[in-house]
Amino acid sequence: MADGPIFHPTAFYRDPLAALKWLEAAFGFETTTLVTEPSGRVGYSEMSFNGGVVSINPEFSGEIIGDARMVSPLEIEGRGTQFIRVHLAEGIDAHCERARAAGARITQEPHDEFYGERTYRAMDPEGHVWNFAQPVAAPSLEDMEKASGLKLATSLREAGHG
Amino acid sequence: MADWRAPLMSAVCYVDPKAALKWLEQAFGFEVSMLIEDGEGVLAHSEMRFGNAVVMVGSEWSADHKSPKSIGGKNTQTVHIQIETDLDAHCERARAAGAEIMVEPATQFYGDRTYRCRDPEGHIWTVAQTVETVTREEAEAASGLKITGWV
Repeated sequence: MADGPIFHPTAFYRDPLAALKWLEAAFGFETTTLVTEPSGRVGYSEMSFNGGVVSINPEFSGEIIGDARMVSPLEIEGRGTQFIRVHLAEGIDAHCERARAAGARITQEPHDEFYGERTYRAMDPEGHVWNFAQPVAAPSLEDMEKASGLKLATSLREAGHG
Repeated sequence: MADWRAPLMSAVCYVDPKAALKWLEQAFGFEVSMLIEDGEGVLAHSEMRFGNAVVMVGSEWSADHKSPKSIGGKNTQTVHIQIETDLDAHCERARAAGAEIMVEPATQFYGDRTYRCRDPEGHIWTVAQTVETVTREEAEAASGLKITGWV
């Protein structure tokens, strides 16, 4: 376990149990914690992949969050307010084929990016976007600026936004 | 060199990602570790670190990527921040920076002290610190839930 703070992504689903099964089959994630309400409904869950953790939880509304709503992308025409990048050490093309065979919509096929990673994007059955990335080169900041035409900085101060 | 990148990393969409970077620094103590802009100064990509944890902050870069601000406060994903110390002080810092504290700090049946807040564009962040060791049996008895996989 890493020292210090941990960020732990949570994604909301209309049918979290179906999502857990699909994410195991398509991406190779493993369900590690499952909290079930007396009704049999999934209340909370955690999946593990390469040492990272993501929670797959039911949609949620209620007085405790006021007018905010935790919803599946299905509720808002397939849009999402966050997405998740997943680091792969190797085998990204085979990983993509496994996801495709399980029914993932591949919105971006595997390809090499200027920042030294091979990536692909997959949309799951409820519309969450997963961006898989595998390092394939180690370009310097200068190499990346030259290849992309973009300006790169490692702090707000360096970028002139002090 | 050890790769400090998390195996799973959230990318959070904002109408104004540059304002979000400044706010997240002030409210939560995150630090910008990567900022990529085009020739006009429009943010293309950014990453913030909090200790060894990393989160990406981006724009509404496609029709499918929206800030909660643009869609009536809805969230399809959230980021849970697990910290080791000073949960209440973290909350006060966020409040002072203008976070809307939706749920005040409280100790939960599973042994974590947590609070929940909303940032200026409507993203919801939960922050937690483990303060008590609770067994699975104790948590099940306190909550009426069935828990699998808790060692």
